Amino acid sequence: MEKSIENIWKEGFLKKDVLVVPNLNDFYNKKSIHIIDKFKRMFRINLIVAVIFALVSLVITTINGLPIIGVSWFLILIGLVVVNKKLLKGLEKIDYHVSSYEYLISFNKWLQEQLAINRKMARLYYPLFFFSIVIGFWFVDAEGVSLGERLVGEVLYGFPNTYLVNGVPLIGIILVLTIASLLALFGGEIYNFDVKIIYGRMFKKIENLITELEELRR
Amino acid sequence: MSNNFYKTSILPFAGIIIKLCRAYTNSQEDFEDYYQEVCLQIWRSKENFRKESEWSTWVYRISLNVCLTLLKKKKNNGQHFVSDALPAEDTDDNYAFADESLNLLYDAIRKLSEIDRAIIMLYLEEKSYQEIADIIGTNPNNIGVRIKRIKIRLKKILDGKIN
Repeated sequence: MEKSIENIWKEGFLKKDVLVVPNLNDFYNKKSIHIIDKFKRMFRINLIVAVIFALVSLVITTINGLPIIGVSWFLILIGLVVVNKKLLKGLEKIDYHVSSYEYLISFNKWLQEQLAINRKMARLYYPLFFFSIVIGFWFVDAEGVSLGERLVGEVLYGFPNTYLVNGVPLIGIILVLTIASLLALFGGEIYNFDVKIIYGRMFKKIENLITELEELRR
Repeated sequence: MSNNFYKTSILPFAGIIIKLCRAYTNSQEDFEDYYQEVCLQIWRSKENFRKESEWSTWVYRISLNVCLTLLKKKKNNGQHFVSDALPAEDTDDNYAFADESLNLLYDAIRKLSEIDRAIIMLYLEEKSYQEIADIIGTNPNNIGVRIKRIKIRLKKILDGKIN
């Protein structure tokens, strides 16, 4: 007699070893490698974008008579790319063949070191970016004289008692130095904010995966 | 995921999870990925369990949602995967059960739409219409009619009338 689907089902699963429960660990290997590979890709793309931005800003600022800004930004950005490229080499050294947990821990260690180095550099390059903008605009040509000299002339016309240091109003120097100091002071926080926007979700995923694996190991 | 949680809250339902995952996959590798993802999602969602339904219903619902999500992802990625359009012969040989009738039944189930696959699996696992409706998120009144239609279609496929 022909069997009903209910009987096929019941009898099929009556036999021993029909339902073998798979091992859970490989999932974490795949997942951690996948997340880290994604991070590496994003990191590389960011370095390429930085190089392109450095070149484009060099060309645009030079065309618009602001070569000091262009050259400064180019040098700062290329410096950043070189340092981060070196840091990326450290990431390549992480051994794929260890357990997922060890792999993620090694990656996280590399990540924290990389972030710490970049945070320190941010305290230097944010003020440098700012100085380059100020100096770049100071020397831009404004009808035969530099924009800075012209501005000083106008300030002196309105406020003849303005105190000058080497031809620059002291109040201006104080203002620029204050902003630069604030950038140096909060450069690390600004960098953290930048990083959070770009990599925040990925960092969270890595953190969660490590927590899951730690629970599994307990 | 703690071993204790896995042993007490997932392992007792491993049978149905395995059966469901097998209905949506056609290779051992895919099956293991699905099973592991289901387990992980059950563990992740445990905080959201409000005891409004049985734990088993909760487990089946998550299992089904994970299978459907992964299936959709695979289709979107253009990966070769069992669907209504793909012949059952594409299932890996080493993925088959020892019981030939069961293999034929699974191949037939894989030819059904994604939701019909879930309904018939839960029916075969002797879940009530109410429980099936709770898991699928539909009206229990429609389940009986739907099951009847699915069984007719399965019978036709098994008889070789549709292939």
